[in-house]
Amino acid sequence: MTEVQQEREFTPRIVGFLCNWCTYAAADLAGSTKLEISPALTVIRVMCSSRVDHNLLLTTFFSGADGILIAGCHPGDCHYGKGNYYARRRYAVLKTVMEGLGLEPERLQLSWVSASEGNRYADVVNAFSKKIKALGPNPINRRRDF
Amino acid sequence: MKAKIGVYVCECGPNIGQTIDIPKVLESIPKLEGYEDIELVPKSFGLLCSPDGKEHLKKEITENGYTHLVIAACSPRDHDATFMNVCKEAGLNPYLYKIINIREHCGWIIHDKDAATDKAIQYIRSGISRVLYQSELFERQLEITPDVLVIGGGVAGIEAALSLACEDRKVYLAEKTGELGGKAARFSSLLPRQSQGADIIKQKIEAVEANENILVFLNTELESSIGFLGNFEVVLDCDGDEEKTDLKVGAIIVATGYRMSDPGGQSGYEYTDADEVYTSLEIERMNAGGGIALRSGDKPGSVALIHCVGRQEKGYCSRICCNYMMKIGGYFKGHSEATQVTEFFFDMCLPHKADQQFFDKSVGLGIDFKRVKTIGLSGTSVEFTEIGGEQQEMNFDMVVLASAMEPPEGTEALAALLEIDLDERGFFKEAHQTTDPVATSIDGIFVVGASQGPRDVSDSMLLAQAAAGRIRSQLIPGGKIVPEVKVSEILEAYCTGCRTCLEVCGYGAIYFDDQKGISVVNEAVCRGCGNCFGSCPSGALRTKHFTNRQLFREVTEALK
Amino acid sequence: MHHENVVVVGAGLAGMKASLLLAQAGKKVHLVETLPLIGGKTIKNEESFPNLECSTCLVAPIQQAVLQNADIETMTLSAVEKIEGDKGNFTVTVKKAARYVKVADCIGCGMCYEPCPVSVSNEWEENLGERKAIYVPCAGSLPNVPTVDPEHCLKLSGKEECNACVEACMFGAVNLEDEDETVEIEAGAVIVATGSGVFDVSALPNLGYGEFPGVYTPFEFERLFASNGPTLGELKIRETEKVPGKIAIIHCVGRKERGYCSGVCCMYSFKFAHFLKKKLPEASVYNLHSDICVMDKSYQKFFDGVNGTHSEMLYNSSMEELKVTGDGDGVKVTYLDEAGKENELDVDMVILAAAMVPEEGASGLAEVLGIDLDALGFFKVRGDDVVSVESSREGIFIAGTAEGPKDSQSSVIQAEAAVGKVLAFLDSCRPQTAEAAAADRQG
Repeated sequence: MTEVQQEREFTPRIVGFLCNWCTYAAADLAGSTKLEISPALTVIRVMCSSRVDHNLLLTTFFSGADGILIAGCHPGDCHYGKGNYYARRRYAVLKTVMEGLGLEPERLQLSWVSASEGNRYADVVNAFSKKIKALGPNPINRRRDF
Repeated sequence: MKAKIGVYVCECGPNIGQTIDIPKVLESIPKLEGYEDIELVPKSFGLLCSPDGKEHLKKEITENGYTHLVIAACSPRDHDATFMNVCKEAGLNPYLYKIINIREHCGWIIHDKDAATDKAIQYIRSGISRVLYQSELFERQLEITPDVLVIGGGVAGIEAALSLACEDRKVYLAEKTGELGGKAARFSSLLPRQSQGADIIKQKIEAVEANENILVFLNTELESSIGFLGNFEVVLDCDGDEEKTDLKVGAIIVATGYRMSDPGGQSGYEYTDADEVYTSLEIERMNAGGGIALRSGDKPGSVALIHCVGRQEKGYCSRICCNYMMKIGGYFKGHSEATQVTEFFFDMCLPHKADQQFFDKSVGLGIDFKRVKTIGLSGTSVEFTEIGGEQQEMNFDMVVLASAMEPPEGTEALAALLEIDLDERGFFKEAHQTTDPVATSIDGIFVVGASQGPRDVSDSMLLAQAAAGRIRSQLIPGGKIVPEVKVSEILEAYCTGCRTCLEVCGYGAIYFDDQKGISVVNEAVCRGCGNCFGSCPSGALRTKHFTNRQLFREVTEALK
Repeated sequence: MHHENVVVVGAGLAGMKASLLLAQAGKKVHLVETLPLIGGKTIKNEESFPNLECSTCLVAPIQQAVLQNADIETMTLSAVEKIEGDKGNFTVTVKKAARYVKVADCIGCGMCYEPCPVSVSNEWEENLGERKAIYVPCAGSLPNVPTVDPEHCLKLSGKEECNACVEACMFGAVNLEDEDETVEIEAGAVIVATGSGVFDVSALPNLGYGEFPGVYTPFEFERLFASNGPTLGELKIRETEKVPGKIAIIHCVGRKERGYCSGVCCMYSFKFAHFLKKKLPEASVYNLHSDICVMDKSYQKFFDGVNGTHSEMLYNSSMEELKVTGDGDGVKVTYLDEAGKENELDVDMVILAAAMVPEEGASGLAEVLGIDLDALGFFKVRGDDVVSVESSREGIFIAGTAEGPKDSQSSVIQAEAAVGKVLAFLDSCRPQTAEAAAADRQG
């Protein structure tokens, strides 16, 4: 297969860590309004975006994820007060080291989606999937079994 | 023991039945690679959340002796609780089950049936993988003390005490000064809508003193407090007592009131002690005492009441001043109709439905209300610009200033003692401005009255009653509290004692064990958000039911 | 001996918070709501002041906690018809209107809407959009179960033998033979938290409501802006589809007529300015105000944040002299400024910040419950205490805007205070223990 054909074969595998109170609810709303959303993303529910740490993110990349989306409540709306601010900081730190690891920083995205924003959730996921597809497969895919 | 997992796919009518090839899903489940030594029992059912469905599930769990349960259906937000109850009733620990969302996150959004089916299989695989790593978790029941400590013996503290005290619930009322009643006890009258008048406060003080279930500590301050909802240990320091008082309480109510800011510090206000310029509180005292008079003993012929002193600088409106200034205007008019009373204000703040009427009545008394856009004071000479007018000056015999309400001295120290937050204005911070106005970030500690923010006597008491409502519903004498199950825990072996988790926790759920040099999670307080986990540099945190192991399994299965 | 159950009338923020607190205390709650959904007025807003947090994010967890709580029986499409007895021993008769959809069988898939041939104006969406005869008021309604409107349903109104929705439902959840039901509830206490209404702005013809499509009431604008609203948040003026470039928000509408300040309108007016500037950065927004009412400690900051940056604050010295007249495509707002001089504003849209008034059914409910209204038509609370949540009848309590205009925070405070009073009242005979409460619930 040529590179061109391989690229065409490429279906991105994206992991989305969604916070229970806002984004997961938005994803549910998007679902109940039957919006079309890219199957490239797999939803993983966490209670708060602040739960997502570097260990989890890096392991996810090393396991072959082509993109990771962290999504939580808008600043000020966090169910636990300030959790999403911490998520934002952690995400920012990881962004700075991704290049050094051989990963394009665009593969990691942080988005704020509130519970009533079903349409926005669909838009965010579809746009991110498109972006990752264009970036191509994860260059440091090192699958490990746990 | 070999794991036996029941995997139930809910048809949910056409919602899953038509959008996903269920037979294909069921077929693929036993074939999932990596699960050879686990027994997977795939089945489908019409509508699992229906009464029939739930009965069916219960029977299936008991008859098949499942060690774990996976349900592929709708969102956990819809029915997680439903199926957890089914597990409980069937004798399966509810934390050994997982619901997979193949409806909102699969069938409904992936419009190609084959693609949706593949995704559903992937999700189910993740779910099975995860559930194997889930552990049994159990609800705990904690004993509690129903007694309450109220800090502050003003109107809010008194109301809190009266609302709570009974045979089974003692209230300890600690007051810093030597008297109960706070500032309002010195007012000669309240607002017209507070129809009982100032006597009601005296009556309430008497009621407190007569109530054998309320123990009053005068000249007393809080020295220390440790513990959590239902189990606080506090130490009170009473002036003059050699020994401190140790108390066990279930909740703490902060009712420390307010203080009036010093208008003398405001720019544009220049006066000395020699001038006939008084604060509203001073006028109240005068009125309650011998009567309002000038230094000479004469009654003032003209008086200026200036609202909003310090509002701009403070950045908030103190809410009560327009009302009490109208009341004070009424004092002057009451002494002599001829007294010229002029009230200067920027915006008329009328919080209560009856306040407009009060304003109209005050106008009717002959009080001159001037809406201004600039104002300054020099002695008893007021320089102002009325809106739509030119700058002018008026001289008065007496001037009364309504300055801002602010947190009293000692607020910061008390907040630090109790480990509760202050807002940017220095008042105690409520847990949530809209939905949780009397609670704080620490469960079991409430803030009421003017210590929460500028409030009048009625509202202060209402907040106290609200805190009483919260406490009555949560701390029932003889009852227990059931804390969150999915909490964090810190592994001693890994913890380096850096205390980062302690600092990020918004609920004060982590404390430092000096002896062992490690941080420890108080499971009774933890809300399970996982922020501590995200902050730990040593990997010492475990978040129950959302462990990294469990999340990794969901992730890696999804990426196979 | 008295009953321990409590009836809470009204499932808005105050009613829901009260119900949850009572259930936590071990009391069984019967939550009676006239609408087909719970959540009250707060869920009509995209965002709530002062923090501008997403209202759904705020309220949805509360709604779900209510619906999933085994000790709270939520009765939607229901109203209190009669009350008998005395404090501690009330018998409350509740009429439950037929929903025509079986709640236990419906899974909220929404397959029944499309086939319905009837389209009518959606009153929950302030008539800015349409709904079918079988409908949920908005996307995200809870409970997520449709209702059939018997007035417009072809079959139920006897116009046609239509079974489109019945056939579309895979679960047989649609039941057009459903009937109204009347139930009797033994309760120890009642909390009235029925909320409020909005001043009818058409009573002031000088404001142009109904005459010009660009003139909106506050909830009309809330729904226009809402991302789950009839236009999915697109700010286009009805009928003209024009995107507004200049908007005037007029404060104090109805204040003089009603005789009180409603306390929340300044804040939501500033919120609207914020919404408008966020969505239409090029737009010009004007707030025509009299007193700036920012009565909570955090509100002044919110005002300072929009003053000048999001909106030009203009002092309006007379509501009587203010006129909204037609001007080509848009409207002209003529008003007297602080100097009493006439000024004009050419705008495309006008939002009227209208007074909070007693809810439509308040007087009827007061009569049914045998409690007094005050001179303004709100439920009266006893003045014995300096503060009170007690109605004129023992055992019946009032919370929220049903008692008078207030913000959400104050409604929650009143709800919690009312629960405190109810619990004290129910526990007054004997100490309440958890075991005794459990025994009561079973008995």
